[in-house]
Amino acid sequence: MPTSPATPAEPSLYQAHKKIYPREVSGYFSRLRVISIIALLGIYYVTPLIQWQGRQAILFDLPARKFHLFGLTLWPQDFIYLAALLILAGLALFFFTALLGRVWCGYACPQTVWTEAYLWMERKIEGNRSKRMKLDKAPMTLAKFRVKLLKHTVWIAFSLWTGFTFVAYFTPIKELADELFSFSLGPWETFWILFYSFATYGNAGFMREQVCKYMCPYARFQSAMFDSDTLIVAYHPERGEPRGSRRRGVEPASVGLGDCIDCNVCVQVCPTGIDIRDGLQYECIACSLCIDGCNEIMDKMSYPRDLIRYTTENSALGKKQHILRPRIMVYAGILLLLCGLLVTHISQRVPLELDVIRDRNTLYRETRDGLIENVYMLKIINMDSKPHRYTLWADGIDGVKLVTDQALIEVEAGTVSQLVVRLQADEFNLEERSVPVTFHLQAEDSNHLRTEQEARFVGPGRS
Amino acid sequence: MAELTPDQMPRSQQAISVLWPSFIVAIIASGAFFSAFNPRDLVPFNLDIDISPIAAYSIGFFLFWLLAFLSSFGTLYFTLSNCRFLKKQGY
Repeated sequence: MPTSPATPAEPSLYQAHKKIYPREVSGYFSRLRVISIIALLGIYYVTPLIQWQGRQAILFDLPARKFHLFGLTLWPQDFIYLAALLILAGLALFFFTALLGRVWCGYACPQTVWTEAYLWMERKIEGNRSKRMKLDKAPMTLAKFRVKLLKHTVWIAFSLWTGFTFVAYFTPIKELADELFSFSLGPWETFWILFYSFATYGNAGFMREQVCKYMCPYARFQSAMFDSDTLIVAYHPERGEPRGSRRRGVEPASVGLGDCIDCNVCVQVCPTGIDIRDGLQYECIACSLCIDGCNEIMDKMSYPRDLIRYTTENSALGKKQHILRPRIMVYAGILLLLCGLLVTHISQRVPLELDVIRDRNTLYRETRDGLIENVYMLKIINMDSKPHRYTLWADGIDGVKLVTDQALIEVEAGTVSQLVVRLQADEFNLEERSVPVTFHLQAEDSNHLRTEQEARFVGPGRS
Repeated sequence: MAELTPDQMPRSQQAISVLWPSFIVAIIASGAFFSAFNPRDLVPFNLDIDISPIAAYSIGFFLFWLLAFLSSFGTLYFTLSNCRFLKKQGY
């Protein structure tokens, strides 16, 4: 079937972007949001400054391939924890989405947090909504140029600080600051600071709600976690309609109208530029600013509040609400189980590893005493934050003897030590050509720090 | 409203639909890859190169981004050209 060519007047799914000028609003939820945003920004900028036992408390030290999280040091071998942590974060998002809807989007997503911060700077410099709209429409003058220059200077400065902080999660912040002030930043550090700054400037200054609308995968699939008991921001059409303007203090019923005075405040405050009165839309990030905006108007009109409010589909329809429902319990169950597993696993983690590599050049050799000897290269990885002295022994063959040139096996904190050892065994005790042996390594000062590793011992075999 | 086809998307949206998913894939791929392999142990083609770990990780990340970009770009390219082709055929 041939389709008619799209006419330009037709509303397009990918219509040209119209800049949104969110109107400022105050109220309970916007205060809650500001608290959340300040707390999260604070955590982001302050974390790299925290020191712990002489080093940065949280540092993803890529060159050394170690992640420091306060007292815990994770090695590449601990990749599983990182994967588990990501799965946990995903599950937590499922759980909170099913329970509270898009609270993540409205209160905690970095895109929201930085957009609000940049919007705040914009308001401080360019003024309120109508002033900003007028300014953007006005032709370029020296005065406008100065205002815009100031805004972008402040934005860029804040972006650079953000980028610098980001890199400080990977390079110790003291080192980074010293390098910055002595103009000796490495090329890649400079690059990543600028890259992250640019991304922040672009996303929070310009892209804003478009990131949520066109780029965010979560926004697309969050509805899969929704059910009729999920918290949503919704307009009350039975109460509000028919909408229409009227003078203050007029009883709605007396003029045949609902409570909505069609002032459009809910549309003007919306950071994604939607009309909540059209029903639940996927652009809605549940920031609840329209609730505050509408309540303010309802107060002025002396109408009851909550024409737009947090509710659930069931409660809006007057049905019974279920907070504890199978979906919530399943998400919570899996979440708790995984949390428990992760915590137990990390607390049981032995920060010691032993790698055994058999010397491949010679299968075996015979000593002067007529014993069969195999040579092994051992790698001892002390992942603990303290140095340790270790005892090493082997078993698996009757009378097997471990010989090494090193009298003491001592490994510094967070380092790898290599060691060549020889195992000697009597030919009569070897059942086959190749038999398993087990190396045991045990820290002398801690029973908990022990590990073992299996290897093969090769001999001539019984003829 | 007539059905919209991908070739009616603005260029900027098309660019984002290629750059952005490949960026995310590159983060996951380099995370997984470099957890398993230390760049110090990976000297390609026995080249005598001496670069810092940060440089190695960064280059690795961009290589992954490039690979994922090529794949995403291929998808977009075939989507767009098939759209045009099917339209020509009268679909």
